[in-house]
Amino acid sequence: MTTAREAETATATEASGASGKPIAAGVGGRARRLLGAVFAALVGLFLLAPVLVTIASSLTTTSYVTFPPKGLTLHWYAELLNRPEFLDSFLLSIGVAAGAAVVSSALGLAAGLAIHRYPFPGKAVLDRLFSSAFAVPTIVLGIGLLQWYAQLGMASSPLTLLLAHLVLTVPYTVRLVLAGLAGLDRSAELAAAGLGAKAPRVFWHVTLPAVRGPLIAGAFFALITSFDDLTIALFVVTTDMQTLPVRIFNYLQYNYDPTVTAVGTVMVLFAAVAVVIIERVVGVAHLFGADPEN
Amino acid sequence: MTAGTDTVGTESAPTEADPAARAGSTRGRLVLKGIHKSLGGKEVVRGIDLTMEPGEFLTLLGPSGCGKSTTLNMVAGHLLPDSGAVEVDGRDITRLPANRRSMGMVFQSYALFPHMTVAENIAFGLRMRKVGAARRSRRAAEFLELVGLDGMGERYPRQLSGGQRQRTALARALIVEPDLLLLDEPFSNLDAQLRVRLREEVGALQRRVGTTTILVTHDQDEALAVSDRIAVMAEGAIHQLDVPETVYLRPATDFVAQFVGEVNVLDGTAAGAAADGHRCRIGGTHLVTATPVGTAPGDGESVRLYVRPEAVRVRALPEAVSGKGGPATTSAPAAAEPGLPGTVEATRFLGTRVRCVVATAAGRVEATLPFGAEVPGLGEEVICAWQAQHASLTARP
Ligand SMILES: Nc1ncnc2c1ncn2[C@@H]1O[C@H](COP(=O)(O)OP(=O)(O)O)[C@@H](O)[C@H]1O
Ligand SMILES: [Mg+2]
Repeated sequence: MTTAREAETATATEASGASGKPIAAGVGGRARRLLGAVFAALVGLFLLAPVLVTIASSLTTTSYVTFPPKGLTLHWYAELLNRPEFLDSFLLSIGVAAGAAVVSSALGLAAGLAIHRYPFPGKAVLDRLFSSAFAVPTIVLGIGLLQWYAQLGMASSPLTLLLAHLVLTVPYTVRLVLAGLAGLDRSAELAAAGLGAKAPRVFWHVTLPAVRGPLIAGAFFALITSFDDLTIALFVVTTDMQTLPVRIFNYLQYNYDPTVTAVGTVMVLFAAVAVVIIERVVGVAHLFGADPEN
Repeated sequence: MTAGTDTVGTESAPTEADPAARAGSTRGRLVLKGIHKSLGGKEVVRGIDLTMEPGEFLTLLGPSGCGKSTTLNMVAGHLLPDSGAVEVDGRDITRLPANRRSMGMVFQSYALFPHMTVAENIAFGLRMRKVGAARRSRRAAEFLELVGLDGMGERYPRQLSGGQRQRTALARALIVEPDLLLLDEPFSNLDAQLRVRLREEVGALQRRVGTTTILVTHDQDEALAVSDRIAVMAEGAIHQLDVPETVYLRPATDFVAQFVGEVNVLDGTAAGAAADGHRCRIGGTHLVTATPVGTAPGDGESVRLYVRPEAVRVRALPEAVSGKGGPATTSAPAAAEPGLPGTVEATRFLGTRVRCVVATAAGRVEATLPFGAEVPGLGEEVICAWQAQHASLTARP
């Protein structure tokens, strides 16, 4: 949606810039604005189309996925109930994603504080590592983790999956926390201590509020990244333990019925609900001034 | 002239006011004993000793990096001295953590809590002391009024100007009725006009509440304007600790003389005590007087004099001595009066005063003539003189 608005703004600016030509300006300006709106709509459609197609085709009465849907039915959603493996996978994905959110926030906070505050050997290396972790292709990470787990004799479990996802998410939360801490005036902590606050209360009342926004954003990022991950999970899961993306992926190799689009729609709904909830929480954080400049 | 000329240049003797008499304070007697501190392998505080009376306003004045903040942070409990002791009201608090001391601190960066309202910021210390919400908000309102922020309690720090932020920080520090108020360059982030206004306000407020206060600053105007006493610091040591008038008019060291304002430095030899000070011979023959810092030098010892341009009086030389012809007069010979003769080399109009440069046997002497004084002409023979109490005499380094 931002894209659409930006496109509009850009066109409007150009239009006003064209007012140097008095006669053509009115017509040209209107045409440009119209063109801009069309462009914006196209971009929006391009972004939303896959989602819309998935949702629409989950309503088809045919036994294969097709768009536009032929007829309308909720049969495939009912069919989901006959497939407990999808529910199991959904619960596994949610559980691991929630774990990734909580653990990477905690680790991100701890690591961020350590890097920001204390000198320790290897600090520079660690800092560099956290900043460049994004650059590693996830498939390489998956292969590496597969090797590691095999070497260590670690059997596949939700825990190994969680650890794998933490490799993806922790660097991100660390960066966010560091950015938050950079904006914290160290003297504010000294001031709080001088006013009688013991170390835990200084942390609670001064340090934590400074990184609250980053922690929420980091947790959200971790949740979505973990819930969404297919590449790494493919290497780490077993036939008994499959995350939802893996389950869908595998299912699609042998079936092409609208059950998968029904699952996809549920996933979209879940993500939308998560976004709304987070928006609420972050919005509340705004009220409390967690994000001073906005 | 950059020095705080508002407080000097008067003929009256420096007032040795008793700071302890202020507002009936009985609390907040600070003693620092032989404080040393190294940071990053460098000794940044090298043996600080000082005693503050309850209610006193003392300024640590020195250039950036001389160890002022480090000293203040040891008083506050944010740093532990390597050696030495910090005592408040006779109690050794050297190893007491900051949160168990009673110090209100104000920082250059304001250091407010951005997610709390102004009122919540101010009441923070009370909250940490488990004071109930009703009493907290009542006290916060009182202190908002005290610092002139009535009605702004519900705002957030980001919605305040720099001056308002610093007032908030001040109220936050004072609400806990601390033993000491510690101000670390509190005005340095403000623009020049506001800086002057706020420092006057803080001075007035301090006199009202009577809290023993240490101000850290590198701005000598600020130090001269608000302090009961000034400790001039350089490289981790106190060079001079005295009332502003004395620090200004009778600097103890080269460093103090140069740092606190413009100064005339004259070398000579000691020539015995006089009624109002100590005599000193300059350029071999000319006698002037000054006040010795510390023990008086023995006769004939090499000494150095510091005289501020404001303290120097320029008088026309009587005709006879100037040798501008005419018969010998019967007036008293000029040599009997103490002073340094010379020739006016330049005069500069500086708005409210005139600067006069006199070439003497001991080099150039600069004098600031008071407003309305007669300005000598170029090339005129004059005598530069000053009162003994307006010049300091030190052993030559
Ligand atoms: N944590 C630190 N580690 C190493 N050196 C420090 C540290 N803090 C301050 N210093 C050094 O100590 C000296 C005195 O610092 P400070 O007390 O802040 O000076 P001032 O407040 O007078 O400007 C400076 O040279 C500064 O660089
Ligand atoms: Mg400092």
